[in-house]
Amino acid sequence: MAIKPVLKEELANSLKIQKKYEEELNKLPKGSLIKKKIKNHEYYYLVLRENGKVRFVYQGKKVDPEIIKQYKEVKQLRVKYRNLLSKIKKQIKFLRSSLRGKEPV
Amino acid sequence: MEKSQSELYQEILRRFHNIGVLKDVVLIGSWCIPLYKKYYLKGSIIPPLRTMDIDFFVPEPKLIKSSVDIPDILKDLGFVVDFVGKQGYIRLLHPDLIVEFLVQEQGRGSDKPYPLPSLGLNAQPLRFLNLLCEKIIKINIERIIISIPHPAWFAIHKLIVTQRRKKAEKADKDLTVAIALLHDLKNMKQSKLILEAYNSVSKKWQAKIINLLEKKQEKEILKIMKNET
Repeated sequence: MAIKPVLKEELANSLKIQKKYEEELNKLPKGSLIKKKIKNHEYYYLVLRENGKVRFVYQGKKVDPEIIKQYKEVKQLRVKYRNLLSKIKKQIKFLRSSLRGKEPV
Repeated sequence: MEKSQSELYQEILRRFHNIGVLKDVVLIGSWCIPLYKKYYLKGSIIPPLRTMDIDFFVPEPKLIKSSVDIPDILKDLGFVVDFVGKQGYIRLLHPDLIVEFLVQEQGRGSDKPYPLPSLGLNAQPLRFLNLLCEKIIKINIERIIISIPHPAWFAIHKLIVTQRRKKAEKADKDLTVAIALLHDLKNMKQSKLILEAYNSVSKKWQAKIINLLEKKQEKEILKIMKNET
């Protein structure tokens, strides 16, 4: 059975998946919610990276637990998607080199 | 750490089993081949080549009793929803697997997806899938019961779809798998089931299958289908 068509199909699928993960990562709300303790008082901040700089956006002394939960989930999902994106990029590299008939470096 | 492809596959089956979805679906496509080799056609030399696509056929979409959200159930595994085509049937993408749900295409057919609100997704309608459900075998994988088509019906279905494929490469792959499965079944003295599967398709498709096998000079398989054994 010819393996090349299967690899070609897998490559096309992998490219689609890469695009999808990039889109999904862009869709996720930016930043992480953190709690700072200043002079025995707790304050919530949203930490963002903007133009290479880290920005802290004050959120208040109290934040709805549901929002805290959402940011936690988003953080986990972001890590997951980044790992999977890295995996799919390696897969694409492997498939491309296999289709060229070379061993991956 | 990310799960390997087979671990991920097992995890999907486990989750579908836990929410009761496996009762309503039949696993079809290339992921049946390793199951045939392991549980049914022991000693088969078919390469267990499978794609990333894991396809589930929903034979009776209106009779589904579960009310679940499959994209949400698989979200934490890293699956993302992809809408395919103009109208958008849903595929769940992951670097190791692509999960799709399929239904039988009715009437003249259309490019619209089939909504499956009880599963929280849209399915892709395709022709000839009902053939795969005419004889089902149930396989127990670590106490999870999964339905798959009998290999004879799977092979006959492949002999039909190979003639409808637009891509020659896919058509070749279907044909190779179908012929290998039929030889395995013949060697297992299951010629009667091959004939039964063959007889379950229309006369028009029977003629097309015979024509194809004649071109490929598959004399032994032809003998079975012409009931000359």
